[in-house]
Amino acid sequence: MKAVLRIAAQFALYLPLMLLIGVFSTWPRFQVIAPGEALVRVSMTHAGARKVACRTRSAAELAKLAPNMRNPQDCSRERAALVVELEIDGALAWRTEAQPAGLQRDGASTIYHRMTLPAGRHRIVARLRDTADGPFNHVREAVLELPAGAALLIDFAADKGGLQFRT
Amino acid sequence: MLKRAHAAGQWSFMRVEGVFNAAFGDRLNPLYYLGPISYFLLWIAVGTGLILYALFETSVIGAYDSVDALSRDHPWSGGLLRSLHRYASDGVILTMLLHLVRHWSFDRYRGFRWFSWVSGVALLWLVYTVGINGYMLPWDRLSQFVVVATAEWFDWLPVFNGALVRNFIFTENVSDRLFSLLAFIHIGVSLVILAILWVHTQRVPQARTVPPLPIALGLTGAMVALSLAAPAMSQARADLALAVTDLEFDWFYLPAYALLYRTSPATLWMVLAGASLLFLLLPWLPPRRRALAGDLSHVLVRPDNRIVPVRDGETVLDAGLREGIAFPFDCRSGGCGRCKATLTAGRIDYGNCQPGVLTDAERADGKFLLCTAVALGDIEVAYEPETAPGGLAPRLWNARVALIEPLSHDVKRVVLNVEGGEAPEFYAGQYLNILLEDGEKRAFSFATAPRRSPEVELQIRLIPGGRFTTHVFEAMKPGDAIRFEGPLGAFFLREESDKPIIFVAGSTGFAPVKSMVEYAFQRGMTRRMLLYWGARRLRDLYLPELPRQWAREHPNFEFIPVLSDAAPEDAWTGRTGLVHEAILEDFPDLGAYQVYACGSAGMVEAAYPAFRAHGLSADECFSDAFRLTPALRSEQVDLVKPGGGA
Repeated sequence: MKAVLRIAAQFALYLPLMLLIGVFSTWPRFQVIAPGEALVRVSMTHAGARKVACRTRSAAELAKLAPNMRNPQDCSRERAALVVELEIDGALAWRTEAQPAGLQRDGASTIYHRMTLPAGRHRIVARLRDTADGPFNHVREAVLELPAGAALLIDFAADKGGLQFRT
Repeated sequence: MLKRAHAAGQWSFMRVEGVFNAAFGDRLNPLYYLGPISYFLLWIAVGTGLILYALFETSVIGAYDSVDALSRDHPWSGGLLRSLHRYASDGVILTMLLHLVRHWSFDRYRGFRWFSWVSGVALLWLVYTVGINGYMLPWDRLSQFVVVATAEWFDWLPVFNGALVRNFIFTENVSDRLFSLLAFIHIGVSLVILAILWVHTQRVPQARTVPPLPIALGLTGAMVALSLAAPAMSQARADLALAVTDLEFDWFYLPAYALLYRTSPATLWMVLAGASLLFLLLPWLPPRRRALAGDLSHVLVRPDNRIVPVRDGETVLDAGLREGIAFPFDCRSGGCGRCKATLTAGRIDYGNCQPGVLTDAERADGKFLLCTAVALGDIEVAYEPETAPGGLAPRLWNARVALIEPLSHDVKRVVLNVEGGEAPEFYAGQYLNILLEDGEKRAFSFATAPRRSPEVELQIRLIPGGRFTTHVFEAMKPGDAIRFEGPLGAFFLREESDKPIIFVAGSTGFAPVKSMVEYAFQRGMTRRMLLYWGARRLRDLYLPELPRQWAREHPNFEFIPVLSDAAPEDAWTGRTGLVHEAILEDFPDLGAYQVYACGSAGMVEAAYPAFRAHGLSADECFSDAFRLTPALRSEQVDLVKPGGGA
């Protein structure tokens, strides 16, 4: 009888332990984004234009250089930072300026940003400036229907025409 | 504040462990085996993982299909394995955390334990790493979430700066190779865990790495039941074009990822880096542990008659086990009482134990638990051995005096003949206790090498006023009945070493040395052996020709007699002074030697620290017959003295 009681007691202690493991291995559910929301991500890796435009060397300047160094163009290494704006339904939702990578700031700039939007129809304008100054030289605008749980990715691909909206 | 937190933790653990004791018994309480259970669950995860890996397809489509098929198409085999893999991994986290909190609560993470603590924290992080990595493999929505979240978290670091996540935001960027990489990391980190776990465990003397069979069976059964009742299932297939909205979430492994999306990557980095730093520095943070008698105390353990060093905060059990003392033990948590011993001198911190395991009456009688007690200075303890070296358990013997003859003015050779013709087995150097009628004991060493003979030879020196030795010298005669117990003690020749041996004998401390030397010759041992036999006067060297004969017959043996108080009539031209000083003159560096010291309390007490100061390793110094604590140094020093009890 005592042995039976003891086994029952062991069972009674194993049960909550297994319940603990079983339950918290899947529950409570984690809400990554709220119900009725869509995800917008901006992700791009792009090297901006040179901060200072290349200059053509004169014949005199070239003559002063060693024969193997006579590049007709004199270019600085530093590139312009990327400036990105995201306008949603007429309001500026996000803006950033990303510096180029590298000690000489001569690499690509990388941008990543995530945000959520209420599901539904939205007018989205993305602007990118990859020059040292002047207006935004890449702009894309679209009215998109974003259902709940949808993901909009805004990317930049120079060979595909610039800013991309991918859903 | 910290003390109160420790006390609260100890109180909680003791209460919960008490409840578990009622159900499982004090020797099969799973809470006493949190470390071994972590090991066991890890092995379940490794074992099931190896089979799952064989069934896993390392491709974008195959990863999901192969894992999902296990649960859907083979619920009683592959599905069960997958569930066991999941739940055992969750269990590892749970038991590791409990193990960590228990050690913290009982203040067993500071001082010399820092390495175990730091390696344990590293293990915990690695288990988290491998677990989180494991959730990337089935390539369901949870995998998608974990992969993207990990990338977004790491992208906060300037070195990545948003570039890492681009591998996981386009479906076309995820290739089959990703799954080979993830599986490689999963297996590789698991191997690193096993390696560090081995190192972590080696720091604890005689650490258990396997729980008792009933616990292992119970846990396995419970895990199987859980796996069948709530099998681990894949969530929807990963689709990088869609946002992950809500998930079934493993809160054992992924709470940091919940924090990531409720705060920010920067916050998560700061929280985890801060927590890691705090955990790693805990052993050195104030308040400092109170300084006792320096960082090192000593425990004289009987009946082994060995002195073992004990570090500040170390339990007497751990100190003994580390030095090879065969202390009995089981739970190591103050729950079973198997390691109960007697404190014969000195002060201890008793530590916490379950009610009833150590009663007030027992405590008043000097009893304590080796597994919870911490020495507060030098102490002397006695325990009941369950096993003896080499499995020679002590037992009671009846014998009769066969021969009694003088060897010198105050030493007699007594030969006992064991009744029934049985030959007592013993190790060269061990001793026996002669049992007096009133239950008192007198210890004497076996004075010959072990042999197949019922005869036991002792060398007994007259102690003025000594009750038993006076009886030996004045009344004992052949045919007298004697009862004794033995063999006892861990003072015996270590044959596994190649180091040269220095024997230090004082007076009748020659008896166990004779036993060891004769045994060494019988075994054909070629190690260099030096015997320094110290006595007051020439007449006290009661068998001087025997070691000289050994020296003549065995080139690897040397004999150096040393007299401390030679009289003019001794005409002594040999070495003089204290015997240990003679050794130190000859061997300023004892680092390459083994020393066996046996003699009076004063001799060994003077010799031990001097030898240690000259490079002798504590592991290479074997001694017998001494008192450790100052209170007893001047009293009854001959109470236990192999070769010459009172």
